[in-house]
Amino acid sequence: MRKIKGFRNIGRTAVIGIPYLWLLVLFLLPFLIVLKISFAEPIISIPPYSDLLQWGDSFWPTIKASLDGYLFILEDSLYVNAYLSSLKIATISTLIALVVGYAIAYSIAKAPTRWRGILLMLVILPFWTSFLIRVYAWIGILKTEGLLNLLLISLGVIDKPLTIMNTDLAVYIGIVYSYLPFMILPLYANLEKMDFNLLEAAADLGCRPFKTFWTVTIPLSLPGILAGCFLVFIPAVGEFVIPDLLGGTQTLMIGKVLWIEFFNNRDWPLASAVAIILLAILVVPIMYYQKTQEKAIS
Amino acid sequence: MTEISTIEPWTDSSQKAYIEIKNVTKKFGDFTAIDNLSLKIYKNEFFSLLGPSGCGKTTLLRMLAGFEKPTEGTILLDGEDISQVPPHLRPINMMFQSYALFPHMSVEKNIAFGLKQDKLPSKEIKDRVEEMLELVQLTEFAKRKPNQLSGGQRQRVALGRSLAKRPKLLLLDEPLGALDKRLREQTQFELMNIQEKLGVTFVIVTHDQEEAMTVSSRIGLMDTGYLTQVATPTEIYEAPVNRDVADFIGDVNFLEGTYKGKNEIGTQLDSVDAKCVVYATQATAADIGRKLWFAIRPEKLEISKKKPDFEHNIIKGKIEDISYTGSMSTFHVKLANGKVLTACRANRERSAEHQLTWEDEVYLHWPPNSAIVLQS
Repeated sequence: MRKIKGFRNIGRTAVIGIPYLWLLVLFLLPFLIVLKISFAEPIISIPPYSDLLQWGDSFWPTIKASLDGYLFILEDSLYVNAYLSSLKIATISTLIALVVGYAIAYSIAKAPTRWRGILLMLVILPFWTSFLIRVYAWIGILKTEGLLNLLLISLGVIDKPLTIMNTDLAVYIGIVYSYLPFMILPLYANLEKMDFNLLEAAADLGCRPFKTFWTVTIPLSLPGILAGCFLVFIPAVGEFVIPDLLGGTQTLMIGKVLWIEFFNNRDWPLASAVAIILLAILVVPIMYYQKTQEKAIS
Repeated sequence: MTEISTIEPWTDSSQKAYIEIKNVTKKFGDFTAIDNLSLKIYKNEFFSLLGPSGCGKTTLLRMLAGFEKPTEGTILLDGEDISQVPPHLRPINMMFQSYALFPHMSVEKNIAFGLKQDKLPSKEIKDRVEEMLELVQLTEFAKRKPNQLSGGQRQRVALGRSLAKRPKLLLLDEPLGALDKRLREQTQFELMNIQEKLGVTFVIVTHDQEEAMTVSSRIGLMDTGYLTQVATPTEIYEAPVNRDVADFIGDVNFLEGTYKGKNEIGTQLDSVDAKCVVYATQATAADIGRKLWFAIRPEKLEISKKKPDFEHNIIKGKIEDISYTGSMSTFHVKLANGKVLTACRANRERSAEHQLTWEDEVYLHWPPNSAIVLQS
């Protein structure tokens, strides 16, 4: 009996251990490496940063950490502006995705059962194409002689082509388009479980449909709204590909800054510091999200 | 039975109907859920729509609530055509089968919800909520959320919420379906008391015939989109219009035969089951030789080993099965032609002497006024 129990405990530890090991090797370790680099100094060598530990004559190594990277970020308004601009773009994109995603999720949840599977499939279908290719496709649509302008001109809506490409608007379109499924899926999962009898009950008690939506539907779908918003907001803040491909030179996003520091300037410590601060900013909503998820489960 | 049923406004043609359903048809695509149905319900009635699932009773209720619009016909409430009025503007409230309580609101907020829509002053809302909480005995649960309540308590919140606005008409969709038997019986009486106290007209949908019999002033028996019979519980039980109605409400035996005319006792039936002529007091208008049925309720069949001292309505058979339920014993008696009749009798004495047992040869007898003559 005891032997079996012991074996079972090992089994249980193994089952729980695998995801922990995964996180340790693929998340915590790289994170610590980035953290380490952020405190180093840039030097011209391979790799292009100084060692944190200096082995001198004594038995113990001396730690040679530098906060230069962090201080530089705080001093130069470019970085602060990039962070703020990223948060702004992510917030606005999240709100647009919420409005559009809510409408789509709601109509799927209300659709006849036999249609729901197909509609959900259509939401997920774009994932079958590479993210990069889909963003490139938007260039073809949005550019001056692109599909959208051709269509609008041929319909006689506009005379001159619109300049959408290389503006913030193109970035918003790109982010909302790319992350919409992450908004729709948690919202649908939530709305699909909703008892539509509640809406009838509200109507029966004299509540207008519009008010019912605000007093019954929205409060009850709050967990879905939160989940969807975090799933869009968090990756959108650090987004690099979309502002790089669709945005213009004036589009300032921290992901792009990070890329420039890393690959163009080869300042790994500064790039690492940018990444660490970005993580610090995102940890707050991530933890809040975790907490609401735990609450939803319990 | 409630006092209301003794007033019986439906027997008085000068009485105005409170709810009048006029030639209403409801179609969902090709499917006809309600077929040219007309019905009058009077003020202060406790009216039951009874029928098997799929008979259209819930559709009819939902049309009264306004969730469905009639394809044809009109619905009048207190003389006013409400067929096209949306649900939130109708002075009608409904208690849902699932209760449909708002899970994010406390008991008192649930009850106050309807009152808030009417923009009543907050003092009045508070008073009305307290009154309702008292009525459904949930005062100490006012701050709880629905998921912190038992099934019976939720049912009472739903009732309180639907009554809070003092509706002209309260609709109840299988209100007691989710409760266990004992609680259901208790709640039936509570519902009747509340209905009498508030004087609200109740229309209840149920598939439970016992429940309908207990609570209703009248029952509307439904079958696939139309009403088969609308009558008081007593009438429906004692004078069903056809075999389907007789069979749906309670247990019943049918004796098949041909009409042989009438004599001083009443209708004569040459019964193929009894292999003799049987009699019923009830008169009938049929051609001689026409196929007829006598319906006899099991409790009206007397069963004995000794041949009773009557000339008519005696059938011999053999006990095939007995079921003992404490207060009653039910006997399945097989006739010579193989047909099985059910007779039951109250177990008035404790002793098991002169008890009937399996394979006993017995006589079944009924007085002529106990049989119902049915033509279809």
